[in-house]
Amino acid sequence: MHLILNDLRPIHWAVAGAGISAATLCLLLVANRRLGISTGLEDLCSLVSSQPYFRRSALRSGREWRLPFLAGLILGGFLSATFSGGWTPTWSLGMFDSVIGLGPAGKLVWMFVGGLFIGFGTRLANGCTSGHGIFGLSNFELPSLVATLSFMAGGIFTTQLLYRVVFH
Amino acid sequence: MRALYLVLGTIFGFVLSRSGAADYNYIQGMFLFENFQLYGIIGTAVVLTAPGLWLIQRRGHTALGAPVRVELKPMTRGTVIGSLLFGVGWSIAGMCPGPILVNIGEGKIYALAALAGALTGAGVFGTLYSRLQSPLRLPPLEVTAPGKARVRSVRH
Repeated sequence: MHLILNDLRPIHWAVAGAGISAATLCLLLVANRRLGISTGLEDLCSLVSSQPYFRRSALRSGREWRLPFLAGLILGGFLSATFSGGWTPTWSLGMFDSVIGLGPAGKLVWMFVGGLFIGFGTRLANGCTSGHGIFGLSNFELPSLVATLSFMAGGIFTTQLLYRVVFH
Repeated sequence: MRALYLVLGTIFGFVLSRSGAADYNYIQGMFLFENFQLYGIIGTAVVLTAPGLWLIQRRGHTALGAPVRVELKPMTRGTVIGSLLFGVGWSIAGMCPGPILVNIGEGKIYALAALAGALTGAGVFGTLYSRLQSPLRLPPLEVTAPGKARVRSVRH
């Protein structure tokens, strides 16, 4: 299966896993930072919201590393596209287009709803695939194991429901 | 240090982009048990990161000599409920938080809507925190008051 991005062949999973691990370990070894991306959503909220939740000292102290890291994620995606056939804005969404088939307006609504679940859920759970799934599991933390099993269950249930039942 | 964080984020984003971790089809393939790629990525990352974390914490200080202290995440009633909700969102959007940003960088226009949704969802959670705190047993907030250095604890 090729990627949606420029129809590329993906790199081997072992290479990708090693790259993710190297960046995660480097963050801790050099800067004493625990990998966690979804907390960055709060950093962005804290730029405009004065709710006490977004003024937590634990949040403020991490902003200086998370905001540049988040900018890097966008830059990484941009460079990946640029060095592989060019950067082109696209609405292409793979099997969503062939099976569910909503147009641009429908996709925006669909993605916004998905985003709501992601934003609310990761904050309630205190982490996402990176902070719980990669760092927490690697550090043998029980809450992270519980979280990882739960978000995998939520994803498996929803995708199976969408692709094997509703849009079958 | 900010340059280092930017570079690490860029490497992380590039790997997510090229591996399928930020690809809608690969995410659905994982949840449909039709594609091994994502299981391989997460499994490899954990297997390699675990001994590394153990060594770094045993060593006890960073490469620059500062103490290493890993903040642990609490277990609350929100751990299961929040993660289930996140899983639903991961499936709907085909992206988790990192890949939302990677997809924006790649030029996938709809990822902007996923980011708007995620920020709204996080904003709603922050706004409702005081009301969710007691039923879900969420920890109290250590808040820095604006313009003041002192830290106060907000309980509801």
